[in-house]
Amino acid sequence: MRIAVDAMGGDHAPSEIVAGAVQWVQHNEGSLILVGPTTQLEKELSPYDYDHARIELAEASQVIGMEESPAQALRRKKDASIVVATKLVKEGKAEAVVSCGSTGAQMAAAIFILGRLPGIERPPIATALPNSKGSQTVLIDVGANVDCRPRQLLQFGLLGSLYASSVLNKPQPRVALISNGQEEGKGNQLTLEAYALLKNHSSLNFVGNIEGRELFADQADVLVCDGFVGNIVLKTIEGMAMFVAQGISRELGKLPNFFAELDYTQYGGAPLLGIEGISIVCHGSSRREAVYHGICAAADCVEKGIIELQKESLIMLEKAISNQNNQEG
Amino acid sequence: MQEFFELACKLLAEQLEIDPADITMETTFESIDADSIDVVEMIMALEDIYDVEFPEEDLEDYPTMGLLVKALWDYLEQVKNENK
Repeated sequence: MRIAVDAMGGDHAPSEIVAGAVQWVQHNEGSLILVGPTTQLEKELSPYDYDHARIELAEASQVIGMEESPAQALRRKKDASIVVATKLVKEGKAEAVVSCGSTGAQMAAAIFILGRLPGIERPPIATALPNSKGSQTVLIDVGANVDCRPRQLLQFGLLGSLYASSVLNKPQPRVALISNGQEEGKGNQLTLEAYALLKNHSSLNFVGNIEGRELFADQADVLVCDGFVGNIVLKTIEGMAMFVAQGISRELGKLPNFFAELDYTQYGGAPLLGIEGISIVCHGSSRREAVYHGICAAADCVEKGIIELQKESLIMLEKAISNQNNQEG
Repeated sequence: MQEFFELACKLLAEQLEIDPADITMETTFESIDADSIDVVEMIMALEDIYDVEFPEEDLEDYPTMGLLVKALWDYLEQVKNENK
């Protein structure tokens, strides 16, 4: 297994990215390709003791900043680290790409370089949250698409459902739409329109709206929202977990293991779904521990074959819809 | 130019699932909810069709379909003239 790592993406690049990468090769099988200015990366790597055969370098002279328009930057900066790293996946030289840089640029690179699966307009980021039953719930989209069209939320519902069934082994996943009330009439224009699409889609087990306080209550297997809401939900959860953890730590002097389940550095990254390759999005603020786990997440997706699983599921979905249409016709 | 404009409208309308007739020279990308990915996708599709690479302009300078298509058309004409 070989994974490409965008060494220049993120608030703490390249030093923390390189440190996380070295940590990964020290504890796992497989190899990495660090992408960035190779002279600088050689210097960053020089203090570490690691198997040199397992970390290759690939030259990229540019970086796409967080403030740049992603799609345009992608055209303008053809030698950007995220562009070069994603091309390595497209060319079959790496099986996945990991980045802590601009999510928009990573998504644009995924769309324009790797390509989308049929019927998917915008790839969302899916992440698995722990729930009250000791299982996991998929939250989708957690930040790739801040402005969405109703039909894109339907596509997120489909992809989230496929992910929950194929990766988390949940048969007929319950899909819910995050809103400000459970009733069908609650929500803003986007969620009201998306509700109707999700409700009327024959292959989805749509269970209606879900409110913020029920996200961990195992009332759904897939929680659908646009990337604006999803990112705020995710960061609020992380911030709240940290706040509660600090309080408990002050009172008891130690933390229950449970809090590790809500620590983003232990998750590292989450996959962009609906694309023809594996692209793992990590927090921009990731340090070495989070980078390490982000690479682990990529390796896990490669091992589980999530692209093939998504493709197979989409084909089955198309067949089911076609059969249903024929019966109705 | 009209044919090129209609092709660009068709490509963008297909992406947005809207009627191409709803896009005029004055239509702003914002008014039809076309983001930068939609616009770049349209430009890249035109590049494939015309086998050309358009220069990387700042899309903010071209807020309407007419302004952008005119700039792309002018570049096509320039390339044609250079190749004569």
